[in-house]
Amino acid sequence: MTHLFAADLVKAEPLWRAIDQPVVLKALVATVGVLLIAWELWWFLGRHGGGVAARDGEAGVQDITITVDGGYAPSRIKVKAGRPLRLAFHRIDPSGCVAQVIFPDFHKTLDLPLDATTTLELPPTEAGSYPFHCGMNMVRGVLEVVD
Amino acid sequence: MERELARERTLLRRKVSVAAVLTVLVMFSSLPHMLGLHSLAFLPLWFSSPWTQLILTTPVLFWCGRDFFTGAVSALRQHSADMNTLVAAGTGIAYLTSLFTTLFPQVLIAEGLPADVYYETVAVILTLVLLGRLLEARARGQTSEAIRLLLQLQPPTARVLREGQPVDVPVSLVVVGDLVQVRPGEKLPVDGVVEEGSSWVEESMLTGEPTPVAKAPGDAVIGASMNRSGSFTFRVSRVGGDTVLAQIVELVRQAQSSRTQVQRLADQVVGWFVPVVIALAIAAFVVWFLVSGNPVLAMLFLVSVLVIACPCALGLATPTSIMVASGKGAENGLIFRSAEALETAGKLRTVVLDKTGTLTRGQPEVTDFERLNGGGLPARTLLALTAAIESRSEHPLAEAIVTYARSQLKDGALPAVEGFEAVAGRGVQGSIAGQQVRVGTPRWFEELGIDTAALKPLVERLEAAACSVAAVVVDGRIEACFGVADPLKASSAAAVAALRRLGLQVVMLSGDARRTAEVVAAQVGIERVIAEVRPADKASVIRKLQEQGEGPVAMVGDGINDAPALAQADVGIAMGTGTDVAIAASDITLISGNLAGVPAAIELSRAAMANIRQNLFFAFAYNVAGIPIAAGLLFPLTGWLLSPMIAGGAMAFSSVSVVSNALRLRNFRPKPLPVAAS
Repeated sequence: MTHLFAADLVKAEPLWRAIDQPVVLKALVATVGVLLIAWELWWFLGRHGGGVAARDGEAGVQDITITVDGGYAPSRIKVKAGRPLRLAFHRIDPSGCVAQVIFPDFHKTLDLPLDATTTLELPPTEAGSYPFHCGMNMVRGVLEVVD
Repeated sequence: MERELARERTLLRRKVSVAAVLTVLVMFSSLPHMLGLHSLAFLPLWFSSPWTQLILTTPVLFWCGRDFFTGAVSALRQHSADMNTLVAAGTGIAYLTSLFTTLFPQVLIAEGLPADVYYETVAVILTLVLLGRLLEARARGQTSEAIRLLLQLQPPTARVLREGQPVDVPVSLVVVGDLVQVRPGEKLPVDGVVEEGSSWVEESMLTGEPTPVAKAPGDAVIGASMNRSGSFTFRVSRVGGDTVLAQIVELVRQAQSSRTQVQRLADQVVGWFVPVVIALAIAAFVVWFLVSGNPVLAMLFLVSVLVIACPCALGLATPTSIMVASGKGAENGLIFRSAEALETAGKLRTVVLDKTGTLTRGQPEVTDFERLNGGGLPARTLLALTAAIESRSEHPLAEAIVTYARSQLKDGALPAVEGFEAVAGRGVQGSIAGQQVRVGTPRWFEELGIDTAALKPLVERLEAAACSVAAVVVDGRIEACFGVADPLKASSAAAVAALRRLGLQVVMLSGDARRTAEVVAAQVGIERVIAEVRPADKASVIRKLQEQGEGPVAMVGDGINDAPALAQADVGIAMGTGTDVAIAASDITLISGNLAGVPAAIELSRAAMANIRQNLFFAFAYNVAGIPIAAGLLFPLTGWLLSPMIAGGAMAFSSVSVVSNALRLRNFRPKPLPVAAS
């Protein structure tokens, strides 16, 4: 099959011409490609650390500061169930996409001015996983509420 | 926020213009090569050099397209990948390959490959993606227009009476208790109660009701409504975040921040999307390299896959439709509390309408007062006893009876009641000057074993006229009976017809006697009636309908008395009064209290859900079809090959088309109500 395609390609424009590459090079490209795919999937989809726990602030309120720069740092936040939470977003990324942060489960939208810290207070909640994301739904984070 | 967005848009527009000019130049520069010629007569030879193209393309990449790269790098550090990652990787790879060819053309020539550069591809992709972003930003601005328009309804100043003199003050300085003057043609700044003067006020911007409402002393008025004819003074009752307008804005904002069940699915896909696309792009490179041994060809497929994928279209598919639909709802006086309410309302099969206050005006009037027992007690005594005991009750029928009795007695003093007790769903009792007085339903007296034979013919006649019957029993003897009727709202019959036209089963729920309820139902064209339901049982009636598989069920009632039933229903629809946003348990609030809002809300939900389905279908289909084509899957079969430039253009316009489709919802108009056959 390989040869069939290659033969077809030769007939096409010069750009599409097939080149006989040494087997070693082919093997090398294939190996590097597979490794790259594996690394890339691990980097973007794998779990990296178990998330950052919120601090215990005054009057039982849990506090955490999140830096908005290309993503949310930290993006996985661990909080305790049944206690109020105060999130402080510090936005340093000028991209318009992250100018809003949305907590769909709480029906909350927060506008984040650039180079400023904006806080959002959330009521105590039950254990569970509550995602949040930017206005365009591309940058995401998650609140992990545990008992 | 607004200013920041405007500044951002100006910068984006400038970048698009610069990118477009440079891209046109690069295209001209690469023209001879594209046409397979050595040179073109009207272009100097140096202009077609790869070095010229490099100089022209570099600013497009590093200035116009800078945000893609900085965004991609910071996202990479956060272990996340987005739109920027794909665009940056695609154009970056094409640029680096071309740079290599420019610097070391002999390497490719030695391999027997043409020393082609792809600067024009880089420039075109970046320009198209930037242009797409600009168009999308503009369209997205329009999706939140509704909120901006609502906020603009409030006038900036109010004419407050300070020591009897009118003074113009900013609305933020008006406090509860202030007296505010309004002249004809002016907008009301805040909510309040009319103290002096009278007028017609247009509340359409908030309630969707086109007809102006008469206002006289004692009537509630809402901020942002428009005073038409007269001048009046009102005492401020709510300011700032407490006003009806502020509450509406807040509710719409909340709805726009929530998401539908479909969106949850799309969100999960988006999370996986970009990493999977990158994997596919690398795989395409490896496979094409193995098949053809041609690294340049393999690189072109890699770039095409990266730039054709558009996770943005998936991410934008539902939120934009929800934004436009909830804004459109607010414009028509329909407030959706969440995206889920919008979603479920579109799937409804059964609509349960509460009778009192929903189909009827909810202000019952006494139509009949009959003495029984051969005139045992004088009429005045009976009226006084009844009014005394009913004045302690909060039942709407009681209010009607007290009003009637007072108008007949014309003297305010009522005898004292001892041991007052309300028996839910039956009536009230207490003792007055040693006499035991009960006012309630004939059924209650039957249960108590009181002889109600004299009542029977009267009850039949009254119930046939859609009156509710309250009998008066003094010391165990039936003494009198009241017929109370609650007039229908003007729009009820037409609204019921509209609901049936939408294919919905309409059920009427009432606490009244079966016959009374059936008469009312017949007047508005409802066939299915569930009568004699006590307030506490309304929720279980809804549950039963749901269990019988007649769901999803909507319950339409007032927000306070029907709260448990509204909460039990799949969609709770509360009838507002226009001056108060009673929303506690409801998914949808009809600000005007006009029943025509129910079919309108359902139509809007259906339109919004159809729009979301179109968007999601388009976004999924676009990616599912586009990526394999870009990867060259069709090439061996058909010779089809997608140029990376076309891939970039397709990507840019897929999200623009999703947003534009959502904007079509702005043209939504509820169908006019059918002429009801009564």
